Amino acid sequence: MRTFRSSRGARLLAAVAMAGLVLAACGGGATPTPVPTAPPASGEPAATPAGGYTGPEVTITYAIWGDPAELKSQQAIVDSFHVANPKITVKVSVSDWEAYWDKVQVGIAGGAAPDVFAMDGPLFPDYQSRDVLLDLKPFIDRDAYDLTQLADQGVADFTTADGGQYGLPRDLSTVVLYYNKAMFDAAGVAYPDDGWDWEKLVEAGKKLTKDVDGDGTVDQWGFYTETTDMENFWLSAVWQNGGDVMAPDGQTTVLDTPDAAGGIQFLQDLIWKEKVMADPAIFAETGDAFENGKAAMESNGSWLVPTHTAAGFDFGIAPLPKGSAGRFTSVNPTGAVVYQGTKAPDAAWEFVKYLASPAAQEQLMQLHASIPVSKEVLAGPYATSFEGAQVFADSLAYAKLKPSFVGYNEFTTLLQGELDVNVFNAPNKTAAQSLADIVPELNAMLAAR
Amino acid sequence: MTVLRRRVHAGAVPRRRGGPVAAEARWAWLFLAPTLLGLAILSAGPILATAGISLTKWDLLTPPQWVGLDNYAALVHDKRFLVALRNTGFYTVVSVPLGMVLALGLALALNQGLRGIAWIRTAYFIPVVTSATAVGLVWAWIYAPSGGILNQLIEIFGLPPQKWTSDPFWAMPAIVMMSVWQGLGTSVIIFLAGLQAIPQEYYDAASVDGAGRWSRFRSVTLPLLTPSLFFTGILALISAFQVFDQVYVLARPGKPTEATVTLVYFMYENGFKNFKMGYAAAASWILFLIVAVLTYFYFRSQRRWVHYQ
Repeated sequence: MRTFRSSRGARLLAAVAMAGLVLAACGGGATPTPVPTAPPASGEPAATPAGGYTGPEVTITYAIWGDPAELKSQQAIVDSFHVANPKITVKVSVSDWEAYWDKVQVGIAGGAAPDVFAMDGPLFPDYQSRDVLLDLKPFIDRDAYDLTQLADQGVADFTTADGGQYGLPRDLSTVVLYYNKAMFDAAGVAYPDDGWDWEKLVEAGKKLTKDVDGDGTVDQWGFYTETTDMENFWLSAVWQNGGDVMAPDGQTTVLDTPDAAGGIQFLQDLIWKEKVMADPAIFAETGDAFENGKAAMESNGSWLVPTHTAAGFDFGIAPLPKGSAGRFTSVNPTGAVVYQGTKAPDAAWEFVKYLASPAAQEQLMQLHASIPVSKEVLAGPYATSFEGAQVFADSLAYAKLKPSFVGYNEFTTLLQGELDVNVFNAPNKTAAQSLADIVPELNAMLAAR
Repeated sequence: MTVLRRRVHAGAVPRRRGGPVAAEARWAWLFLAPTLLGLAILSAGPILATAGISLTKWDLLTPPQWVGLDNYAALVHDKRFLVALRNTGFYTVVSVPLGMVLALGLALALNQGLRGIAWIRTAYFIPVVTSATAVGLVWAWIYAPSGGILNQLIEIFGLPPQKWTSDPFWAMPAIVMMSVWQGLGTSVIIFLAGLQAIPQEYYDAASVDGAGRWSRFRSVTLPLLTPSLFFTGILALISAFQVFDQVYVLARPGKPTEATVTLVYFMYENGFKNFKMGYAAAASWILFLIVAVLTYFYFRSQRRWVHYQ
C-alpha cells in the first residue's frame, strides 16, 4: 500500500468524500442496487477484427492516484492513445491515494464509476470478489492477446482461480537497497552488492551510524526504512528468513511462525538492538531520512527514484541483502481494471491493452518511478534508462507478490497498529510475543470475512 | 414599540390574512429556507438513510443485505470500537472543560479597552477558520520528537524529550491540546459577547455594596454568563464527540493506533477502508444516541445553573 505517497495535506479530502458518500447513500438508499446492471452486450465482446477499435466514437473515464508528475505522464500516454485511436477520448482524473479509494467506492455506489481505473495489487481481491470488475478473458481470447509479453507476476496478480483475468498490469514496484555513496566513501565501507547478507548490512550499518558534528548524539544513521507498511522492508525480511504472511490457501496468517517473526524481529533489532536505524518517530515529521541526508542506506520501493534523484546527491541502488532463506524482495503491481458496468467495454479494453503496450510503457518508464510490465521494454530500453535500473529489472527474478486477499486493509490496520506501538516505535515486546498476541485476532478477522 | 404596533393593528389594519404579521412570518420562512432546505435535503435524508443502512451488511459495491441488529450486536464485542469509545470519552472529558476554562479566562482578558484589542481578538479567532490540515502540520512540528518546539521548551526545565504524537501515553493529550487551541476562538467570541451584554450598573451596584474583584466575578459575571457557558458547552460537547480531522492529521506514524482511534475515525475506517458501511452506520447511530442522551441531560440541567437576565 502506498499511503506514504499521499500528501497529508489532502487527507481532509477524505473527510469531504465522507460527506459525499452520505449523499450517495441518500440517492441510492431507496433502491439498494448500487451496481448498475451491464448492458447485455458488455462482457461479450462485439465481433471486431483483432486489434483496433471500430465501434462508435466514445469518451471513457480513467481514474488514477498519483502526484502531478504521474498525472502528466499518464496524460501524455492518453494523448498518444488518442492519436492511435481517434474515436476514443479518454478523460483522466487523478486523486491522492486516500481520496482515490473513497472516490472509486462512492462512484461505484452512486453509479458514476470510472470506466477504467488503477488498481493496487493487494486491494484487487476486495474489488474482484464483489463483482465490480469486468473479466477481460473474453477480450483476450478474441484478440488472441499474448499475456506472456507482460511480466508474469503482474499478470498473475489479476488472475482468479477460475481462470478469469480482471485487469492487466500497468506498472510494477519492487523494493531495493538505496545507498548514499558519499557516506560510504567517508566511512571507508564498500558499496552494497549482491553478495550482501543481513550480517553485512548490520556491520556496514554500524560503521555508518555516527555523530558527525560531535555534539554527543547520533546524526547519521546507517539504515532507514518505513515501518508502517510491510512493503517497504519487513515483508521482504520475513521471506528472507523463510517465513510468510499468509498460509498457501490464503485463509489464515502464518506470521506467528518463528521464521516469520524472525524477519520482523530483524527490523526491530536494527532499530533498538543494533541501533543502526533511528526510532521511527524521529523521522515521522521530517520525512525520508535517506533523502534528507540523515541515513546512509534505505530499504524502499522503486517509486522513490524520482524524489531521491531530485534531492541532488549521488546515490546507488543495490539488491536487498540475503537472509538465511535467500534473497527476496516484494513486487507490487498496479493494474488497469475495467468497471463491470461500463457502457464502452470495447473501448475500455483497447485502452487497458494500450497502457501495457511497449509504446505506453516506454513513456511511463521515463518517470523512473516504476518498473515496466512489458517484457520487451524491460529487457530493452528500461535497463539502461537510469543508473540502477538494471537492479530493478533483475529484482523481478527473486520478487514475490505482495500479499493480496479479501480484507487486506482491515488486516493491515490491526497488524500494523500492534507492530507500530509494541515492536517498532518502542521495543515493548519481541516480534514473537507481539505476533502471538495479534495473530489470533487476525485469524478471527480473516475467518469472519 | 410594542404599544405602538398594537395601536396600529387595532386601528387602521384589523386582523386580516396577509397583514404585517403574516408578511413578517413569510419573510422569516424565506430567510430560514436555505438552512431548512439544506437540513432537509443534506442532513435529514442521509440521517434516515444511515438508520436503514445500519441494519444491513453493505460494502458499497454490491447490494446491501438485511442483517437486522447484527451490526449493533457485533459492535458491542468489537475491541476496536470499545477502544474508540474510550478514546472519544477521554477526549471529550478533557477537551470540553479545558477549552471552556481557557476560553473564559481569555475572554475576560480580551474584554478590556486596550488599544488594538480588535486585532488581538481577531488573532485568537484565526485558528478557528484555518483548515485542520494546516493546523495539524504546524502542530506536528511543535510536537516533533527531535527539534520540536515543545521538546526544546521542556528541555529548558530539564525534562526529557517526549514522543508526543507516537507515544501511546501522550498521543491523545497531544491531540486534545491542539484541538483546544484551535477551537478556543469560537468560545472566546461567544463569551466576549456575553460579557459585553452584562450591564455596567450591576457592577456599579455590586461595588457600592462593597464587592471586590473576585466577588463581582463570582456573583455578577459568572451567573450572567451562564447562558453563554451553556451554549458553548453544548457546542463543544457535540463537536468533541465528532472529533476526526485532528486525529486524521496528527496520528503518527502512519495511522491512528489504539491510543488515538476515535468513534468517527472508526466509522471512516470501516465504511471506506474495510468495506463495512453498514457496520459504520451502526456505529454512527450509537454515537448519535450517546450525544442525544447527554444533550438531553445537559438541557435538563439548565434550570439548575443557567440564569437568564
